[in-house]
Amino acid sequence: MRILLAICCLLFLDSHAVRVSASFETEVKPFLKKYCVDCHSGGEEAKGEVDLSTMNSSNFAERFEHWESAINRVKSHEMPPEDAPQPTAEERQKLLKWYQTEVDSVAAHPGFFTPRRLCATEYRKTLRSLFGFDLEVAIIEAEQTVAEKSLVMKLLQTDPPGASGFRNDTHGNPLTTILWDQYSYIADAGLEELFSQQRRPLLEEITGPIPPAGINIEHAEKLVRSFVPRVFRRSVPESKLVEIIDAVKKNSDQEAALNIELKAVLMSAGFMFRGLMMEGEVGKQQPVDSFELAERLSYFIWGDMPDAELLELASAGTLVGPEIFSAQIERMLDSPKSINLADDFALQWLTLDQIAKQSDNPPQAEALRSQPVDYMHHLFVEDRPLLELIDSKTAFANPFTAKFYGTDSKQMVRYRKQKGIEVEIVPNQKISLVATKNRGGILTMPGILEMNRGPVIRGTWILERILGEELPEPPADVGQIPASPPGKNLTFRELFEMHRSKITCAICHDRIDPLGFALQRYDGSNYKQNADVDTTGRLPTGESFEDFVGLKQILVTSQREPVIRNIVERTLSYALCRKLKFFDRPTVDKIVSELVAADGTYRDLVHQVAMSLPFQQTVIRN
Amino acid sequence: MNWNIDRRTFLRGTAGVALPLPFLNLMTASAKESATEKPPVRFMTLFKPNGVHPPSWNISGGSETDFRMSPLMQPFAKHKDDVLILDNMGDFGFSSHANSTRRFLSGHHQNTKSASVDQLIADRISGDTPHRSLELTTEGLFPNQIGCSYISYGHDGQAIPRESDPQLIFDRLFRNPLSHPQKRREMASLLDRVREDARSLTRKAGHEDRATLDQYLTVVRETEKRLQDMQGRSSSTDFSKFKRPERPANLNEQAESMIDLIALAMWTDSTRCVTYMLGNSNSRMIFDFLGIKEQHHYLSHFFRNFSRENLEALLKISRWHMEKFDYLLTRLKSFKDHNGTLLDHSVVLFGSGMGHSDNHTATRIPIILAGKGGGMLKTGRYVRFSENQQLGKLHLALLQKFGVELESFAGSSTALAGLDSSDFTPWRERPFESWVKVEGDEITVQGRIRMSDNLDEAKLFFVDVQNKPSVRIEISFRDFHNFNIAYHCGTPITISGTGSEQDGRLTITKVKELTSLFGSKPGSANG
Repeated sequence: MRILLAICCLLFLDSHAVRVSASFETEVKPFLKKYCVDCHSGGEEAKGEVDLSTMNSSNFAERFEHWESAINRVKSHEMPPEDAPQPTAEERQKLLKWYQTEVDSVAAHPGFFTPRRLCATEYRKTLRSLFGFDLEVAIIEAEQTVAEKSLVMKLLQTDPPGASGFRNDTHGNPLTTILWDQYSYIADAGLEELFSQQRRPLLEEITGPIPPAGINIEHAEKLVRSFVPRVFRRSVPESKLVEIIDAVKKNSDQEAALNIELKAVLMSAGFMFRGLMMEGEVGKQQPVDSFELAERLSYFIWGDMPDAELLELASAGTLVGPEIFSAQIERMLDSPKSINLADDFALQWLTLDQIAKQSDNPPQAEALRSQPVDYMHHLFVEDRPLLELIDSKTAFANPFTAKFYGTDSKQMVRYRKQKGIEVEIVPNQKISLVATKNRGGILTMPGILEMNRGPVIRGTWILERILGEELPEPPADVGQIPASPPGKNLTFRELFEMHRSKITCAICHDRIDPLGFALQRYDGSNYKQNADVDTTGRLPTGESFEDFVGLKQILVTSQREPVIRNIVERTLSYALCRKLKFFDRPTVDKIVSELVAADGTYRDLVHQVAMSLPFQQTVIRN
Repeated sequence: MNWNIDRRTFLRGTAGVALPLPFLNLMTASAKESATEKPPVRFMTLFKPNGVHPPSWNISGGSETDFRMSPLMQPFAKHKDDVLILDNMGDFGFSSHANSTRRFLSGHHQNTKSASVDQLIADRISGDTPHRSLELTTEGLFPNQIGCSYISYGHDGQAIPRESDPQLIFDRLFRNPLSHPQKRREMASLLDRVREDARSLTRKAGHEDRATLDQYLTVVRETEKRLQDMQGRSSSTDFSKFKRPERPANLNEQAESMIDLIALAMWTDSTRCVTYMLGNSNSRMIFDFLGIKEQHHYLSHFFRNFSRENLEALLKISRWHMEKFDYLLTRLKSFKDHNGTLLDHSVVLFGSGMGHSDNHTATRIPIILAGKGGGMLKTGRYVRFSENQQLGKLHLALLQKFGVELESFAGSSTALAGLDSSDFTPWRERPFESWVKVEGDEITVQGRIRMSDNLDEAKLFFVDVQNKPSVRIEISFRDFHNFNIAYHCGTPITISGTGSEQDGRLTITKVKELTSLFGSKPGSANG
């Protein structure tokens, strides 16, 4: 089964099985042979894990990422390395031209329609919306303790990230019998609570008053008609509803029968998987049906099932109208549920879940963790420009983090600890950075600096998470940073630069180190104005800077496009719950150029992604 | 307000595991083995976090068989004949929360390579019970000092995860869906249904949909096969009539449901070993259902955070812990087991990791054993040892009684004497005389001072005088504070002051002088 899925992915793009021009054999292949394959061959043994010897005219599409990274390096003269024979300017030019022709010939494609299992957090929120209550574990949550209160999160293992790096990309994480048993247990627990005395008022909102004698067939029918379409997140044919109601009727114990019927619905493939019930014509590129569109929107922005309003619009067929669609996006971003974009999407994108591991004291850990989450939420809902990710005059702080903001922290309403409370989690307050020069933006947030210690880890994180570059694993034999040679007293940076001057190291470290060393004045989360460190640097693209302030300026000016491109790619990938493919490139290019031109905001970004071709359309493959 | 009370009463009635009446009547007859066979002996521990306020916990004077239970012991005073109160347990000056917690069942905090005593006992006694042991708690993990969160440790010395939810425990014990014929039938019919639904989708599906549905149907098929494999295998006892506990609304309901389950698990012989923590040591819990707003740990430092309100709140919390101990013993007694009750065939270890909750001394740790353990223990006694005893000696004695052959445990190589009818060296106090003198409104009395049994009037003290009614001390907070009355509890003093006689009882209302007969002045002694 799994193998079958894998093959499906590989065979993916027939029509694009690309019209790679004939010039590949005459112009590109000789170039690769002459300058590249000596190092880049041998499968996983190849340098940088990029094997260029197996590139050919027919696998352009599936090896697109390798092509892209190889070409970018040839373009920037990073490759071939300095100590290797260099191609002539003309040879270089020819290769780049060939590549541009290939890329330009790629047409945007929405990708093939693929159902996917709800990930654990989606499953939890969906059940909460369905039942009207969260399934909780009885555990006392005292201050300074950590307790998993959600039954779903306790029982379902956290999904591993998929190929996209996001956990909602569950393609590689199939249903198993273990999961089946957990789903079954959770469904039982949910239904038992729904029919319990404690939840009677909630149930009666749907069924009307239930007499002491218990649930009768009228109650059952009302519940089925309300519950079942919401489980499937779409209208359900009358025949199907009648079938369920009849099954309840046949049984003398209506509550027990109803329980069994509803459990069958909750255990059905149509509930567990997203998209299985979408209507559409096989083999044709077409808009997704309106229920699927509602579902895509709500899982993207809320991580949750569509609410009544979205389902109503989908049912009426009016959701697709651009004005209504756009208004719905605004409404959804205004809803508190849009915290999902910060506490699920941005959390995974920026690895914010690592921050809490930096302290054993939960209120302290939560102070560091919640800062970037609140900040990202602010960017999304308050319609801030995309580049405020890097630079901003707004910050969020609480008494634990106030010390990082000097006199600016005086803007906060003073926190008074209640008598008898030793330590507690305290919410953040928004402050303006007036006097604080060394903070602002995500990169200098205490939690981010705390989780990424040392120039290499910091540089790598910025390169991958902010600039969207992918780095190979370092070679296994990197060894130790040497001690200062006798008679010399070298700084850490000088020693480190000696150590990584080998060409195999320099390829990546030329890009990583300037970014990381720029932050050397931040010792963990603390800023040391007078630290005797060298923060100067020069990016491979040529820009030089004195310190982090200079680097920040570069990131929001000359590096603006790569930063925005990365934001767009991450957001689109999360929204589609899949890794982006080469045929998404035109979509990304279009969004990037519009956002760059218009100095776009996070709301613009959400609109652009939701309006994009792969979000709106699909092809159901036969 | 009224509504709250009604609701609580109502929930109390329904939240627990109720046994249907016919089942209760069967209890004697349905006991697994005949009355002549020896019933299994069970082992339970109940951990009380954050030590105690010694003046209200310690027993004042008394002897092995003639003693008065302390104010904090009042909630389980009715079980006096079934408990063995140990005093002078623990031999360590000061101990952190984490260390003292580990010592509770592991003897010493450096005993980190061995299993805790409960686990060693479980190995010996679990037999073929479906669950070797249960490790239970009420609250989340305390990562700042992780040792505060655990009392049970496995053979590699690693902490054993705990469970806090009564419904999850109930389901684990009594509702294994595969071993239950009715549940199996329901699942089989559900599988038929969902398979039909999935197949109807397949007919109109595209390529990727079919792959997903295949994946789904494979799991359905495998589950069906597992059900078939379970056919014919069926647990010997039908638990389907047990009522699943409701979702608890507060800590009290959660703890009582859990204790109900502990008793039921023992009685059905689902397990023979349970540890239950009423909270983490260092617990930051807020007992809001008792009307308290401060954190438990803050209040437990009753000396550094002293105020009358804080002390009253702390005593309310401690009393709640004692009530849960009472609840456990009462539950165990309510089940008939062979020719006695479940408690007769159990050993319950109740206590804390530290004694004095403000200065963290690990001496005079509250430790009580309950149940006769099928004859292992001689209960109904107060055993105060002449010297401070290592906890490891107690653990070694318990291990030996349960048939675990070990030469030493946690650095202790002699087993604690006195748990049965064996000899032990009791604590001896210098003799003193007690008397009372009245001149006008001046009263002078010599005798042992103790707190009132009634913790609601924790500001009341009594000086016991032989053959006379105790003299009552009812004074202002200022006097209480200046003369440090609580410090002297349990020891003989001479106290003089003014007062009067009311209803045949002398009461001192203003203190002039207080001297300790044998002790030093407050504040001059260590710990």
